[in-house]
Amino acid sequence: MSYFRATDPFPLESAEHTKLHEFYARLAAGRLATTRCAACKRLAWPPRAFCGECASDRFDWVDLSGEGTIHAFTIQEVGLPSGFAGPRVFAIVKIDGLRVFSILVDAEPAKVAIGQAVRLSPLRVADDPSGNARWLPAFRPA
Amino acid sequence: MRKVALVGAGVSKFGVRKASYRDLIWEAGKACFDAVPAVKPKDVEGLVVGSVMPERTAFQSHISSMAAEALGIRPSALSARTEHMCASGTVGIRYAYAFIAAGLADLVMVLGVEKLNQPSGDEAILNMGTGVDREWEASFGLTAPPCFALAAQRHIAEYGTTEEQLAMVGVKNHTHASKNPNAHFQRGATLEQVLGSRMISSPLRLFMCSPITDGAAAVLVASEERARALTDTPVWIRGTGQALDGFQLTSLHENYAHWPALSRAAQAAYGMAGVRPQDVDVAEVHDCFAIAELIAYEELGFCEKGEAGAFVAAGRSDYGGDVVVNSRGGLMGCGHPLGATGVAQAAEVFAQLRGEAGARQVDDAAIGLTHNNSGMGEHVVMIYGRESR
Ligand SMILES: CC(C)(COP(=O)(O)OP(=O)(O)OC[C@H]1O[C@@H](n2cnc3c(N)ncnc32)[C@H](O)[C@@H]1OP(=O)(O)O)[C@@H](O)C(=O)NCCC(=O)NCCS
Ligand SMILES: [Zn+2]
Repeated sequence: MSYFRATDPFPLESAEHTKLHEFYARLAAGRLATTRCAACKRLAWPPRAFCGECASDRFDWVDLSGEGTIHAFTIQEVGLPSGFAGPRVFAIVKIDGLRVFSILVDAEPAKVAIGQAVRLSPLRVADDPSGNARWLPAFRPA
Repeated sequence: MRKVALVGAGVSKFGVRKASYRDLIWEAGKACFDAVPAVKPKDVEGLVVGSVMPERTAFQSHISSMAAEALGIRPSALSARTEHMCASGTVGIRYAYAFIAAGLADLVMVLGVEKLNQPSGDEAILNMGTGVDREWEASFGLTAPPCFALAAQRHIAEYGTTEEQLAMVGVKNHTHASKNPNAHFQRGATLEQVLGSRMISSPLRLFMCSPITDGAAAVLVASEERARALTDTPVWIRGTGQALDGFQLTSLHENYAHWPALSRAAQAAYGMAGVRPQDVDVAEVHDCFAIAELIAYEELGFCEKGEAGAFVAAGRSDYGGDVVVNSRGGLMGCGHPLGATGVAQAAEVFAQLRGEAGARQVDDAAIGLTHNNSGMGEHVVMIYGRESR
Protein backbone atom coordinates (compact mmCIF):
# COMPACT_ATOMS: atom_id res chain seq x y z
CA MET A 1 0.00 0.00 0.00
CA SER A 2 1.32 3.43 -0.87
CA TYR A 3 0.08 4.69 2.51
CA PHE A 4 2.17 2.11 4.34
CA ARG A 5 5.23 3.07 2.31
CA ALA A 6 4.81 6.65 3.41
CA THR A 7 5.33 5.49 7.00
CA ASP A 8 8.06 2.92 6.36
CA PRO A 9 9.89 2.91 9.70
CA PHE A 10 13.08 1.29 8.40
CA PRO A 11 16.02 2.79 6.54
CA LEU A 12 16.64 2.20 2.84
CA GLU A 13 19.77 0.07 3.00
CA SER A 14 20.62 -0.79 -0.61
CA ALA A 15 23.59 0.61 -2.49
CA GLU A 16 21.52 2.98 -4.59
CA HIS A 17 20.05 4.55 -1.47
CA THR A 18 22.90 5.05 1.00
CA LYS A 19 26.64 5.55 1.28
CA LEU A 20 26.42 3.25 4.29
CA HIS A 21 25.31 0.22 2.29
CA GLU A 22 28.47 -1.68 3.24
CA PHE A 23 27.36 -1.61 6.88
CA TYR A 24 24.14 -3.41 5.99
CA ALA A 25 25.86 -5.84 3.62
CA ARG A 26 28.23 -6.90 6.41
CA LEU A 27 25.36 -7.00 8.90
CA ALA A 28 23.47 -9.42 6.64
CA ALA A 29 26.58 -11.61 6.83
CA GLY A 30 26.54 -11.49 10.64
CA ARG A 31 29.25 -8.84 11.09
CA LEU A 32 29.08 -5.52 12.94
CA ALA A 33 31.06 -2.87 11.13
CA THR A 34 31.60 0.85 11.33
CA THR A 35 33.65 3.57 9.67
CA ARG A 36 37.08 4.97 10.50
CA CYS A 37 37.97 8.37 9.08
CA ALA A 38 40.76 7.89 6.54
CA ALA A 39 42.24 11.29 7.39
CA CYS A 40 42.16 11.63 11.20
CA LYS A 41 41.58 7.93 11.96
CA ARG A 42 38.65 8.62 14.26
CA LEU A 43 36.43 5.58 14.81
CA ALA A 44 32.75 6.50 14.60
CA TRP A 45 29.49 5.05 15.86
CA PRO A 46 27.20 4.95 14.04
CA PRO A 47 29.09 4.76 10.74
CA ARG A 48 29.30 8.03 8.83
CA ALA A 49 30.39 9.24 5.42
CA PHE A 50 31.59 12.64 6.63
CA CYS A 51 33.94 13.23 9.56
CA GLY A 52 32.60 15.81 12.00
CA GLU A 53 36.10 16.31 13.43
CA CYS A 54 38.24 16.95 10.36
CA ALA A 55 35.58 17.35 7.62
CA SER A 56 37.01 14.53 5.50
CA ASP A 57 34.64 12.39 3.45
CA ARG A 58 37.13 9.54 3.06
CA PHE A 59 36.55 6.57 5.31
CA ASP A 60 37.36 2.89 5.66
CA TRP A 61 35.13 0.11 6.90
CA VAL A 62 36.30 -1.79 9.97
CA ASP A 63 34.71 -4.76 11.69
CA LEU A 64 33.90 -4.41 15.36
CA SER A 65 33.71 -7.21 17.86
CA GLY A 66 30.20 -8.62 17.82
CA GLU A 67 30.33 -8.90 21.61
CA GLY A 68 29.69 -6.20 24.16
CA THR A 69 28.15 -5.41 27.53
CA ILE A 70 25.02 -3.55 28.57
CA HIS A 71 25.81 0.01 29.69
CA ALA A 72 22.17 1.03 30.30
CA PHE A 73 18.74 -0.33 29.47
CA THR A 74 15.02 0.20 29.93
CA ILE A 75 12.02 -2.00 29.28
CA GLN A 76 9.11 -0.30 27.56
CA GLU A 77 5.77 -1.98 28.26
CA VAL A 78 3.29 0.20 26.37
CA GLY A 79 3.19 3.28 24.19
CA LEU A 80 5.31 1.79 21.40
CA PRO A 81 4.70 2.86 17.81
CA SER A 82 2.35 0.58 15.93
CA GLY A 83 4.19 -2.40 14.53
CA PHE A 84 6.53 -2.55 17.55
CA ALA A 85 5.32 -4.66 20.47
CA GLY A 86 6.14 -4.40 24.17
CA PRO A 87 7.73 -5.38 26.40
CA ARG A 88 10.74 -4.19 24.46
CA VAL A 89 14.25 -4.00 25.91
CA PHE A 90 16.11 -0.93 24.66
CA ALA A 91 19.79 -0.97 25.51
CA ILE A 92 23.00 0.96 25.15
CA VAL A 93 25.69 -1.63 24.42
CA LYS A 94 29.41 -0.96 24.93
CA ILE A 95 31.53 -2.46 22.19
CA ASP A 96 35.21 -1.73 21.55
CA GLY A 97 34.90 1.53 23.53
CA LEU A 98 31.89 2.68 21.49
CA ARG A 99 28.32 3.07 22.70
CA VAL A 100 25.78 1.42 20.42
CA PHE A 101 22.01 1.91 20.76
CA SER A 102 19.93 -1.18 20.06
CA ILE A 103 17.34 -3.62 21.35
CA LEU A 104 17.85 -6.91 23.11
CA VAL A 105 15.99 -9.82 21.51
CA ASP A 106 15.26 -13.22 23.05
CA ALA A 107 15.89 -11.85 26.53
CA GLU A 108 13.75 -12.41 29.59
CA PRO A 109 13.13 -8.79 30.65
CA ALA A 110 13.39 -9.52 34.39
CA LYS A 111 16.88 -10.98 33.91
CA VAL A 112 18.44 -8.13 31.96
CA ALA A 113 21.21 -6.39 33.93
CA ILE A 114 23.80 -3.67 33.54
CA GLY A 115 27.16 -5.25 32.69
CA GLN A 116 25.50 -8.29 31.11
CA ALA A 117 27.35 -9.76 28.11
CA VAL A 118 25.48 -9.57 24.80
CA ARG A 119 26.29 -10.40 21.21
CA LEU A 120 25.19 -9.20 17.80
CA SER A 121 22.02 -10.80 16.48
CA PRO A 122 21.09 -9.25 13.13
CA LEU A 123 17.34 -8.72 12.96
CA ARG A 124 15.56 -9.13 9.65
CA VAL A 125 12.81 -6.54 9.26
CA ALA A 126 10.35 -5.81 6.44
CA ASP A 127 11.84 -5.83 2.94
CA ASP A 128 12.23 -2.45 1.29
CA PRO A 129 9.65 -1.39 -1.33
CA SER A 130 11.80 -2.97 -4.09
CA GLY A 131 11.89 -6.30 -2.28
CA ASN A 132 15.44 -6.09 -0.90
CA ALA A 133 16.00 -7.74 2.48
CA ARG A 134 16.69 -5.36 5.36
CA TRP A 135 18.52 -5.90 8.65
CA LEU A 136 18.98 -4.00 11.89
CA PRO A 137 21.86 -4.48 14.35
CA ALA A 138 20.05 -6.07 17.31
CA PHE A 139 21.67 -7.97 20.20
CA ARG A 140 20.88 -11.05 22.30
CA PRO A 141 22.20 -12.30 25.64
CA ALA A 142 25.64 -13.90 25.05
CA MET B 1 20.73 45.67 20.74
CA ARG B 2 17.25 46.97 21.43
CA LYS B 3 15.17 45.83 24.38
CA VAL B 4 12.38 43.38 23.61
CA ALA B 5 9.22 42.52 25.53
CA LEU B 6 6.13 40.35 25.46
CA VAL B 7 2.97 42.46 25.26
CA GLY B 8 0.28 39.82 24.92
CA ALA B 9 -0.36 36.10 25.17
CA GLY B 10 -3.14 33.62 24.61
CA VAL B 11 -3.57 29.86 24.80
CA SER B 12 -6.15 27.48 23.34
CA LYS B 13 -7.70 24.72 25.37
CA PHE B 14 -5.20 21.81 25.41
CA GLY B 15 -6.39 18.21 25.20
CA VAL B 16 -7.57 15.52 22.83
CA ARG B 17 -9.41 18.15 20.85
CA LYS B 18 -12.25 17.84 18.40
CA ALA B 19 -10.67 20.61 16.37
CA SER B 20 -8.65 20.92 13.19
CA TYR B 21 -5.09 22.24 12.94
CA ARG B 22 -6.51 25.53 11.65
CA ASP B 23 -9.15 25.65 14.42
CA LEU B 24 -6.34 25.55 16.97
CA ILE B 25 -4.51 28.40 15.20
CA TRP B 26 -7.72 30.46 15.30
CA GLU B 27 -8.27 29.76 18.99
CA ALA B 28 -4.78 30.78 20.11
CA GLY B 29 -4.76 33.80 17.79
CA LYS B 30 -8.13 34.94 19.10
CA ALA B 31 -7.03 34.59 22.72
CA CYS B 32 -3.83 36.55 22.04
CA PHE B 33 -5.50 39.40 20.10
CA ASP B 34 -8.24 39.60 22.74
CA ALA B 35 -5.53 40.19 25.34
CA VAL B 36 -4.20 43.24 23.44
CA PRO B 37 -7.23 45.02 21.98
CA ALA B 38 -5.06 47.82 20.58
CA VAL B 39 -3.37 45.39 18.18
CA LYS B 40 -5.20 44.18 15.07
CA PRO B 41 -3.87 41.45 12.78
CA LYS B 42 -2.80 44.03 10.16
CA ASP B 43 -0.52 45.69 12.74
CA VAL B 44 1.60 42.57 13.16
CA GLU B 45 4.75 42.75 11.00
CA GLY B 46 6.01 39.27 11.48
CA LEU B 47 4.90 35.75 12.27
CA VAL B 48 6.94 32.78 13.44
CA VAL B 49 5.11 29.48 13.80
CA GLY B 50 6.57 26.68 15.91
CA SER B 51 5.12 23.41 14.66
CA VAL B 52 6.72 19.99 14.42
CA MET B 53 4.71 17.57 12.35
CA PRO B 54 1.83 19.13 10.40
CA GLU B 55 3.18 17.27 7.35
CA ARG B 56 2.16 14.07 9.09
CA THR B 57 -0.88 15.13 11.08
CA ALA B 58 -2.52 17.70 8.78
CA PHE B 59 -0.69 16.77 5.55
CA GLN B 60 0.26 20.43 5.37
CA SER B 61 3.52 22.33 4.80
CA HIS B 62 3.99 26.08 4.15
CA ILE B 63 2.84 26.61 7.69
CA SER B 64 3.69 30.22 8.45
CA SER B 65 1.84 31.52 5.39
CA MET B 66 -1.13 29.29 6.09
CA ALA B 67 -1.33 30.57 9.67
CA ALA B 68 -0.76 34.19 8.61
CA GLU B 69 -3.72 33.97 6.25
CA ALA B 70 -5.86 32.26 8.87
CA LEU B 71 -5.18 35.12 11.28
CA GLY B 72 -5.20 38.01 8.79
CA ILE B 73 -1.53 38.81 9.37
CA ARG B 74 0.36 40.18 6.36
CA PRO B 75 4.01 39.72 7.30
CA SER B 76 6.31 42.49 6.05
CA ALA B 77 9.37 41.91 8.21
CA LEU B 78 9.52 38.22 9.12
CA SER B 79 7.65 35.04 8.26
CA ALA B 80 9.07 31.65 9.20
CA ARG B 81 8.31 28.29 10.69
CA THR B 82 10.49 26.72 13.35
CA GLU B 83 10.65 22.94 13.49
CA HIS B 84 12.88 21.94 16.35
CA MET B 85 10.97 19.05 17.88
CA CYS B 86 9.75 19.74 21.43
CA ALA B 87 11.53 23.13 21.71
CA SER B 88 10.12 24.55 18.47
CA GLY B 89 8.04 27.18 20.25
CA THR B 90 10.87 28.65 22.28
CA VAL B 91 13.19 28.55 19.29
CA GLY B 92 10.51 30.63 17.51
CA ILE B 93 10.53 33.17 20.35
CA ARG B 94 14.31 33.44 20.00
CA TYR B 95 13.89 34.29 16.29
CA ALA B 96 11.37 37.00 17.08
CA TYR B 97 13.63 38.31 19.83
CA ALA B 98 16.65 38.50 17.53
CA PHE B 99 14.77 40.22 14.70
CA ILE B 100 13.32 42.81 17.03
CA ALA B 101 16.54 43.35 19.00
CA ALA B 102 18.35 43.90 15.69
CA GLY B 103 15.82 46.48 14.56
CA LEU B 104 14.40 44.40 11.71
CA ALA B 105 10.87 44.28 13.14
CA ASP B 106 8.81 45.98 15.86
CA LEU B 107 5.88 43.66 16.44
CA VAL B 108 5.98 39.90 15.81
CA MET B 109 3.59 37.12 16.76
CA VAL B 110 5.03 33.76 17.75
CA LEU B 111 2.46 31.01 17.51
CA GLY B 112 2.97 27.38 18.45
CA VAL B 113 0.53 24.76 17.22
CA GLU B 114 0.26 21.00 17.07
CA LYS B 115 -2.54 18.61 16.25
CA LEU B 116 -1.06 15.33 17.46
CA ASN B 117 -4.10 13.09 17.95
CA GLN B 118 -4.58 12.52 14.27
CA PRO B 119 -5.72 10.30 12.70
CA SER B 120 -5.44 7.76 15.57
CA GLY B 121 -3.58 7.18 18.82
CA ASP B 122 -1.38 4.55 17.20
CA GLU B 123 -0.40 6.88 14.42
CA ALA B 124 0.31 9.67 16.91
CA ILE B 125 2.90 7.56 18.70
CA LEU B 126 4.37 6.38 15.38
CA ASN B 127 4.78 10.04 14.43
CA MET B 128 6.60 10.81 17.69
CA GLY B 129 9.40 8.59 16.40
CA THR B 130 10.29 11.27 13.86
CA GLY B 131 12.00 13.16 16.68
CA VAL B 132 14.79 10.62 17.12
CA ASP B 133 17.22 9.31 14.50
CA ARG B 134 15.24 7.29 11.96
CA GLU B 135 18.08 5.06 10.80
CA TRP B 136 19.80 4.31 14.10
CA GLU B 137 17.04 4.73 16.70
CA ALA B 138 13.45 5.05 15.46
CA SER B 139 13.87 1.97 13.24
CA PHE B 140 13.97 -0.03 16.51
CA GLY B 141 10.72 1.56 17.68
CA LEU B 142 12.36 4.20 19.86
CA THR B 143 10.35 7.23 20.99
CA ALA B 144 10.89 9.57 23.94
CA PRO B 145 9.80 7.50 26.99
CA PRO B 146 12.68 4.98 26.94
CA CYS B 147 15.23 7.79 26.44
CA PHE B 148 14.16 9.59 29.58
CA ALA B 149 13.81 6.26 31.39
CA LEU B 150 17.57 5.78 30.91
CA ALA B 151 18.14 9.12 32.67
CA ALA B 152 15.78 8.18 35.48
CA GLN B 153 17.52 4.88 36.12
CA ARG B 154 20.89 6.53 36.26
CA HIS B 155 19.62 9.22 38.66
CA ILE B 156 18.18 6.54 40.92
CA ALA B 157 21.36 4.45 40.85
CA GLU B 158 23.71 7.34 41.42
CA TYR B 159 21.87 9.61 43.84
CA GLY B 160 19.36 7.35 45.51
CA THR B 161 16.44 9.24 43.97
CA THR B 162 13.25 7.32 44.76
CA GLU B 163 10.13 6.40 42.84
CA GLU B 164 8.17 8.47 45.38
CA GLN B 165 10.23 11.53 44.52
CA LEU B 166 9.62 11.02 40.82
CA ALA B 167 5.93 10.59 41.60
CA MET B 168 5.86 13.85 43.58
CA VAL B 169 6.65 15.76 40.39
CA GLY B 170 3.53 14.21 38.86
CA VAL B 171 1.43 15.03 41.92
CA LYS B 172 2.63 18.64 42.01
CA ASN B 173 2.10 19.31 38.32
CA HIS B 174 -1.27 17.58 38.09
CA THR B 175 -2.37 19.55 41.18
CA HIS B 176 -1.27 22.81 39.54
CA ALA B 177 -3.09 21.84 36.33
CA SER B 178 -6.32 21.44 38.27
CA LYS B 179 -6.31 25.25 38.56
CA ASN B 180 -5.73 25.76 34.84
CA PRO B 181 -8.88 25.64 32.70
CA ASN B 182 -6.77 25.21 29.55
CA ALA B 183 -4.93 22.13 30.85
CA HIS B 184 -5.40 18.67 29.32
CA PHE B 185 -5.95 17.15 32.80
CA GLN B 186 -7.75 18.92 35.61
CA ARG B 187 -8.48 16.14 38.06
CA GLY B 188 -5.23 16.39 40.04
CA ALA B 189 -3.42 13.26 41.22
CA THR B 190 -2.47 11.65 44.52
CA LEU B 191 0.83 9.95 45.32
CA GLU B 192 -0.93 6.58 45.45
CA GLN B 193 -2.49 7.20 42.05
CA VAL B 194 0.82 8.13 40.45
CA LEU B 195 2.70 5.21 42.01
CA GLY B 196 -0.13 2.85 41.11
CA SER B 197 -0.40 3.95 37.49
CA ARG B 198 0.78 1.51 34.83
CA MET B 199 4.43 1.15 33.90
CA ILE B 200 5.31 2.81 30.60
CA SER B 201 9.09 2.45 30.43
CA SER B 202 10.82 1.38 33.63
CA PRO B 203 10.88 3.28 36.00
CA LEU B 204 8.52 5.83 34.41
CA ARG B 205 4.82 5.25 35.05
CA LEU B 206 1.87 6.81 33.23
CA PHE B 207 1.50 9.78 35.61
CA MET B 208 5.22 10.48 35.31
CA CYS B 209 4.76 11.09 31.56
CA SER B 210 3.27 13.90 29.52
CA PRO B 211 0.38 12.81 27.29
CA ILE B 212 -0.27 13.18 23.54
CA THR B 213 -2.07 16.52 23.25
CA ASP B 214 -3.50 18.96 20.71
CA GLY B 215 -3.18 22.67 21.35
CA ALA B 216 -1.89 26.08 20.35
CA ALA B 217 -0.51 29.19 22.03
CA ALA B 218 0.52 32.65 20.84
CA VAL B 219 2.51 35.58 22.17
CA LEU B 220 3.07 39.06 20.78
CA VAL B 221 6.68 40.23 20.96
CA ALA B 222 7.52 43.94 20.61
CA SER B 223 10.35 46.45 20.56
CA GLU B 224 10.68 48.70 23.61
CA GLU B 225 9.04 51.66 21.93
CA ARG B 226 6.10 49.61 20.62
CA ALA B 227 5.77 47.76 23.92
CA ARG B 228 5.54 50.95 25.95
CA ALA B 229 2.94 52.32 23.56
CA LEU B 230 0.82 49.19 23.92
CA THR B 231 0.95 48.42 27.63
CA ASP B 232 2.07 49.70 31.03
CA THR B 233 3.13 46.21 32.01
CA PRO B 234 5.30 44.60 29.34
CA VAL B 235 7.26 41.51 30.31
CA TRP B 236 10.87 41.88 29.24
CA ILE B 237 13.00 39.23 27.61
CA ARG B 238 16.12 39.51 29.73
CA GLY B 239 18.19 36.57 28.60
CA THR B 240 18.27 33.56 26.32
CA GLY B 241 20.52 30.59 25.74
CA GLN B 242 20.51 27.44 23.64
CA ALA B 243 22.99 24.56 23.64
CA LEU B 244 23.38 21.10 22.12
CA ASP B 245 25.22 18.07 23.44
CA GLY B 246 24.12 15.79 20.63
CA PHE B 247 21.23 14.29 18.74
CA GLN B 248 21.53 10.52 19.00
CA LEU B 249 21.45 8.88 22.43
CA THR B 250 24.96 7.58 21.92
CA SER B 251 26.28 11.11 21.37
CA LEU B 252 25.09 12.39 24.74
CA HIS B 253 26.99 12.43 28.03
CA GLU B 254 27.71 8.82 28.97
CA ASN B 255 25.88 9.42 32.23
CA TYR B 256 22.31 10.04 31.07
CA ALA B 257 21.48 11.89 34.31
CA HIS B 258 23.94 14.64 33.34
CA TRP B 259 22.70 17.24 30.85
CA PRO B 260 25.62 19.61 30.33
CA ALA B 261 23.86 21.42 27.46
CA LEU B 262 21.13 22.54 29.85
CA SER B 263 23.68 23.94 32.24
CA ARG B 264 25.38 25.81 29.37
CA ALA B 265 22.11 27.19 28.00
CA ALA B 266 21.15 28.33 31.51
CA GLN B 267 24.50 30.00 32.16
CA ALA B 268 24.21 31.90 28.89
CA ALA B 269 20.71 33.08 29.77
CA TYR B 270 21.55 33.99 33.38
CA GLY B 271 24.66 35.86 32.28
CA MET B 272 22.78 37.87 29.70
CA ALA B 273 19.96 38.63 32.13
CA GLY B 274 22.20 39.45 35.07
CA VAL B 275 20.23 37.17 37.37
CA ARG B 276 21.14 34.15 39.50
CA PRO B 277 19.18 30.93 39.93
CA GLN B 278 18.04 32.03 43.40
CA ASP B 279 16.47 35.16 41.88
CA VAL B 280 13.96 33.13 39.83
CA ASP B 281 10.44 33.30 41.27
CA VAL B 282 8.57 31.20 38.75
CA ALA B 283 9.91 28.64 36.30
CA GLU B 284 8.25 26.69 33.52
CA VAL B 285 10.49 23.68 33.00
CA HIS B 286 10.20 20.91 30.44
CA ASP B 287 8.66 18.09 32.49
CA CYS B 288 7.98 15.82 29.51
CA PHE B 289 8.77 13.10 32.06
CA ALA B 290 9.16 13.48 35.84
CA ILE B 291 12.89 12.84 35.64
CA ALA B 292 13.34 15.76 33.27
CA GLU B 293 12.01 18.20 35.84
CA LEU B 294 14.32 16.79 38.52
CA ILE B 295 17.41 17.02 36.35
CA ALA B 296 16.35 20.53 35.29
CA TYR B 297 16.36 21.73 38.95
CA GLU B 298 19.99 20.64 39.12
CA GLU B 299 21.25 21.91 35.80
CA LEU B 300 19.37 25.22 36.21
CA GLY B 301 21.10 25.67 39.58
CA PHE B 302 18.00 25.53 41.79
CA CYS B 303 19.74 22.81 43.82
CA GLU B 304 22.99 20.83 43.80
CA LYS B 305 23.54 17.85 41.50
CA GLY B 306 21.84 14.81 42.97
CA GLU B 307 19.58 16.75 45.35
CA ALA B 308 16.56 17.21 43.11
CA GLY B 309 14.59 14.36 44.66
CA ALA B 310 14.89 15.90 48.12
CA PHE B 311 14.18 19.35 46.64
CA VAL B 312 10.76 18.35 45.30
CA ALA B 313 9.97 16.22 48.37
CA ALA B 314 10.57 19.23 50.63
CA GLY B 315 8.17 21.34 48.58
CA ARG B 316 10.93 23.70 47.49
CA SER B 317 9.64 23.76 43.90
CA ASP B 318 6.04 24.42 44.94
CA TYR B 319 4.10 27.42 46.27
CA GLY B 320 5.84 28.68 49.41
CA GLY B 321 9.15 27.12 48.36
CA ASP B 322 12.29 28.52 46.70
CA VAL B 323 10.81 28.73 43.20
CA VAL B 324 7.40 27.71 41.90
CA VAL B 325 8.00 25.25 39.09
CA ASN B 326 5.32 24.63 36.47
CA SER B 327 2.52 26.71 37.93
CA ARG B 328 0.34 26.10 34.85
CA GLY B 329 0.64 22.32 35.35
CA GLY B 330 3.65 21.62 33.19
CA LEU B 331 3.70 19.27 30.26
CA MET B 332 2.38 16.47 32.44
CA GLY B 333 -0.75 18.34 33.44
CA CYS B 334 -1.28 20.64 30.45
CA GLY B 335 -0.16 18.17 27.86
CA HIS B 336 2.63 18.60 25.34
CA PRO B 337 1.48 19.74 21.89
CA LEU B 338 5.13 19.98 20.81
CA GLY B 339 5.35 23.31 18.98
CA ALA B 340 2.82 24.94 21.31
CA THR B 341 4.58 24.04 24.55
CA GLY B 342 7.35 26.64 24.58
CA VAL B 343 4.91 29.40 23.65
CA ALA B 344 2.46 28.28 26.34
CA GLN B 345 5.32 28.36 28.87
CA ALA B 346 6.04 31.96 27.86
CA ALA B 347 2.33 32.79 28.14
CA GLU B 348 2.31 31.48 31.73
CA VAL B 349 5.37 33.50 32.73
CA PHE B 350 3.80 36.55 31.06
CA ALA B 351 0.66 36.13 33.18
CA GLN B 352 2.64 35.46 36.36
CA LEU B 353 4.90 38.52 36.02
CA ARG B 354 1.88 40.74 35.37
CA GLY B 355 0.03 39.36 38.38
CA GLU B 356 -2.71 37.99 36.13
CA ALA B 357 -2.39 34.28 36.87
CA GLY B 358 -5.50 34.11 39.06
CA ALA B 359 -5.70 31.01 41.24
CA ARG B 360 -2.19 30.06 40.15
CA GLN B 361 -0.58 33.42 40.97
CA VAL B 362 2.87 33.26 42.58
CA ASP B 363 3.24 36.09 45.10
CA ASP B 364 5.14 39.07 43.75
CA ALA B 365 6.71 37.19 40.84
CA ALA B 366 9.36 39.43 39.25
CA ILE B 367 11.72 37.04 37.47
CA GLY B 368 10.49 34.12 35.37
CA LEU B 369 12.34 31.37 33.51
CA THR B 370 11.29 28.95 30.81
CA HIS B 371 13.14 25.79 29.85
CA ASN B 372 12.22 23.84 26.73
CA ASN B 373 14.17 20.87 25.43
CA SER B 374 14.36 18.70 22.35
CA GLY B 375 15.38 15.31 23.67
CA MET B 376 17.89 15.11 26.51
CA GLY B 377 20.71 16.61 24.47
CA GLU B 378 19.36 20.01 23.49
CA HIS B 379 18.05 22.79 25.69
CA VAL B 380 16.70 26.32 25.38
CA VAL B 381 16.35 28.70 28.34
CA MET B 382 14.65 32.10 28.44
CA ILE B 383 14.64 34.58 31.32
CA TYR B 384 11.92 37.18 31.63
CA GLY B 385 11.68 40.15 33.98
CA ARG B 386 9.00 42.53 35.21
CA GLU B 387 11.70 45.21 35.03
CA SER B 388 13.70 45.72 31.86
CA ARG B 389 16.98 45.58 33.81
C1 LIG C 1 2.40 7.61 28.14
C2 LIG C 1 1.70 7.20 26.87
C3 LIG C 1 2.50 6.09 26.17
C4 LIG C 1 0.29 6.69 27.20
O1 LIG C 1 -0.36 6.42 26.00
P1 LIG C 1 -1.48 5.28 25.91
O2 LIG C 1 -1.04 4.10 26.69
O3 LIG C 1 -1.76 5.09 24.45
O4 LIG C 1 -2.71 5.94 26.64
P2 LIG C 1 -4.14 6.25 26.01
O5 LIG C 1 -4.03 7.38 25.06
O6 LIG C 1 -4.71 4.96 25.52
O7 LIG C 1 -4.97 6.77 27.25
C5 LIG C 1 -5.51 5.90 28.22
C6 LIG C 1 -5.94 6.72 29.41
O8 LIG C 1 -4.77 7.25 30.07
C7 LIG C 1 -4.84 8.68 30.10
N1 LIG C 1 -3.50 9.17 29.84
C8 LIG C 1 -2.81 9.09 28.67
N2 LIG C 1 -1.60 9.62 28.83
C9 LIG C 1 -1.52 10.07 30.09
C10 LIG C 1 -0.50 10.71 30.82
N3 LIG C 1 0.68 11.00 30.26
N4 LIG C 1 -0.73 11.03 32.11
C11 LIG C 1 -1.91 10.71 32.67
N5 LIG C 1 -2.93 10.09 32.03
C12 LIG C 1 -2.72 9.78 30.75
C13 LIG C 1 -5.82 9.05 29.02
O9 LIG C 1 -6.42 10.28 29.30
C14 LIG C 1 -6.81 7.92 29.07
O10 LIG C 1 -7.66 8.14 30.18
P3 LIG C 1 -9.20 7.74 30.13
O11 LIG C 1 -9.19 6.23 30.02
O12 LIG C 1 -9.73 8.24 31.43
O13 LIG C 1 -9.76 8.41 28.92
C15 LIG C 1 1.57 8.41 25.88
O14 LIG C 1 0.85 9.41 26.51
C16 LIG C 1 2.92 8.94 25.46
O15 LIG C 1 3.54 8.44 24.55
N6 LIG C 1 3.43 10.01 26.15
C17 LIG C 1 4.72 10.57 25.87
C18 LIG C 1 4.62 11.65 24.86
C19 LIG C 1 5.98 12.07 24.41
O16 LIG C 1 6.87 11.27 24.21
N7 LIG C 1 6.19 13.37 24.24
C20 LIG C 1 7.45 13.89 23.85
C21 LIG C 1 8.24 14.11 25.07
S1 LIG C 1 9.89 14.69 24.80
ZN1 LIG D 1 38.38 12.83 10.38
